Amino acid sequence: MKFLRSFIILLLVCFTMLMASPPAWAFCGFYVAKADAKLYNQASQVAIARDGNRTVLTMANDYQGPVKDFAIVVPVPVVLQREQINVGDPKIIERLDAFSAPRLVEYFDPDPCMPIPPPAAAPFPGSLARSSATAESRQRRDNTLGVTVEAQYTVGEYDILILSARESDGLETWLRENGYRIPNGASQLLQPYIRQRLKFFVAKVNLDKFEQSGFQSLRPLQMAYESPRFMLPIRLGMVNARSEQDLIIYLMSPKGQVELTNYRTVKIPSNETIPVFVKDEFSNFYKAMFKTAYTRENKRVAFLEYAWNMGGCDPCAADPLTPEELRKAGVFWLNFPTRPDVGGRGMPIVRPNVFITRLHVRYTRDKFPEDLMFQETSNQEFFQGRYILQHPFKGDLSCRAGQEYKRQLSQRFEQESQTLARLTGWDIRDIRRKQPTADYRPEPWWRSLWN
Amino acid sequence: MPAFPDARDYQILFLSLFLVLGLSTRDWTLKPEIIATAIVTCLVVQVIISHVVSAIRLPSSVSSARPSINVRSPLITALGLSLLFRTDRLDIMALAAGLAIASKFVFQFKGKHCFNPANFGIVATILLSHSGWVSPGQWGENAWYVAVFLATGGLVLQRVGRWDTSIAFLGVYGLLEVGRNLWLGWTWDVVGHRLMSGSLILFALFMVTDPRSIPNARIGRLLWAGAIAVLTFILRNYYFVSTAVFWALFALSPVTWLLDWWLPAERFAWRSSSTIQVEQQGVNSPYPPPLEAALVPQIAPLRSDAA
Repeated sequence: MKFLRSFIILLLVCFTMLMASPPAWAFCGFYVAKADAKLYNQASQVAIARDGNRTVLTMANDYQGPVKDFAIVVPVPVVLQREQINVGDPKIIERLDAFSAPRLVEYFDPDPCMPIPPPAAAPFPGSLARSSATAESRQRRDNTLGVTVEAQYTVGEYDILILSARESDGLETWLRENGYRIPNGASQLLQPYIRQRLKFFVAKVNLDKFEQSGFQSLRPLQMAYESPRFMLPIRLGMVNARSEQDLIIYLMSPKGQVELTNYRTVKIPSNETIPVFVKDEFSNFYKAMFKTAYTRENKRVAFLEYAWNMGGCDPCAADPLTPEELRKAGVFWLNFPTRPDVGGRGMPIVRPNVFITRLHVRYTRDKFPEDLMFQETSNQEFFQGRYILQHPFKGDLSCRAGQEYKRQLSQRFEQESQTLARLTGWDIRDIRRKQPTADYRPEPWWRSLWN
Repeated sequence: MPAFPDARDYQILFLSLFLVLGLSTRDWTLKPEIIATAIVTCLVVQVIISHVVSAIRLPSSVSSARPSINVRSPLITALGLSLLFRTDRLDIMALAAGLAIASKFVFQFKGKHCFNPANFGIVATILLSHSGWVSPGQWGENAWYVAVFLATGGLVLQRVGRWDTSIAFLGVYGLLEVGRNLWLGWTWDVVGHRLMSGSLILFALFMVTDPRSIPNARIGRLLWAGAIAVLTFILRNYYFVSTAVFWALFALSPVTWLLDWWLPAERFAWRSSSTIQVEQQGVNSPYPPPLEAALVPQIAPLRSDAA
């Protein structure tokens, strides 16, 4: 009886094993300098539009060096066909950045002596611009190194190779022989990707085409592929980076927010009222605040800077992207009415089914050992990095309410100073010095006694 | 003499602690009203179904023996759902909580639950509504949290006698990850990062060990936990399912009765503490009908034929 039971269980197990057998796949790479150019890719920007397993990845970079020295190697899940690769519009990344950037908003206090006019609110576009630029690569050769050139294309100003390799040493040698200056230790990092049977997308600039194109900087590279993997390889990128690197990821999904599954995703501090003088140094403020938050979280989290439906914003740092711009950003599922007359009765406002999540990851080798893995969620909650300036009323405050207003103002200034010091780690005495004074002198209590 | 006679009280305490800890330090999207929804729904559904079931089972002459209402189990399920399941909609949390409790009554075999209620609620809700999600990264990989989970989980498991299951799961999964890491040639911090995940530890200590829904025999449990580990590993690394543990547990839960049938459990019925309670079906038991089960273990179960 016992034997029979064991036998049945064994059969069941074998049957189940037969039912399952796996395929596999993945993704961003590292920049390879040719010659002796010193390269650091310290503020990359990547846009990922994904629905189901279909993914459009747009890579931009703030590469500033000579164009001829620039090359990129990215692990890709499959051999990409010519039609799956595109050179994107550099404005798109700028638009995504401007739309989702942390923003400063300004409000003005009303005249306390003239009660009730509603406060005017003026949206103030955020700053934090980051420019775009991109990648590149080189030739083919096969030989005994175990490297196969699977495909070769010229797309826009780029020469692109898709390589597959059997051994990481072979790939490293091949790249060196073909004129790429591979950072030491790259081969060790290439091996896991080779073993996962990934291909390598190698792109470099075709100088003739680049000159013909008339562009001043490198345009973003885009690739469309289908893979169950929703990830961004960052390990290769750490080879030629000395210190902390910033990566801004714009994730577009038809469903909702995207979050990391193997690191914590944390909201950046938001909706804080800060001193008005920050208006002139917003970018310093943001950098200091980011750094403080990053350190407080032990340097091992991704920060959520923006999460919103693409149909609107409040306040807008920049106009939402148009359907055409969304398409250029890789959004392939758009269900926008294609004709402008749809909707008819005066209010044809249809929200596009695009939810954008902006993640800011500052990573180092020791705190981010693994590549970034994402998941799409149905979370429709809006979030934005928003910082408030509240301008005090400037004018005659001689009335009684005006005196009361002044009293509150001096408290408010102190509160703002403390908030700023907490967010940025700046010295509170410096902040107080920069803050205006409320010019409030309390009236002696006896003055109103006999009058 | 322990402070709480029932190990489930410890679970309730610890799960509440985790919830407070998570809310205060982990920046969750979780809102108090969603937690409240989970708790209220679990309790209400438990009460309603208990009454319905007892009304059906009992002839009217005996109906004076009202079923005692079990509060601990639905509370544990609600806390587990609050900890693990994410949604921005109250109705979706209510659906998950309702399904979790209902699963205990619907899917049972010889008085034993087929699924872990919280696990069932999560998976069924995601499948049915496509709303709601699990955030496996949200506990981070802070050693301090891992230590808290290990300490508290250990306390409960020791009283319940289900350490073997956690160890089998973590051991097999850890070995597989280490092996893959060696083969791929990643550095050791990659595997460390994967195994130190707070969510994984939480799962291994508080979900895969629910004695109401896992095999009775120790060998059965070891095999079963090992199989969940293997399936989790495959789903995660070859099918890229980020919430692989929940799907693996869900898929393999029905195997429990097969293992119980194959490996009758008499000699493995652990009696680790003075608080063994015999769970029998029916209203005459001093304890509520076997409806409780939960995210986390309670007392070592005895098969009715062993009692």
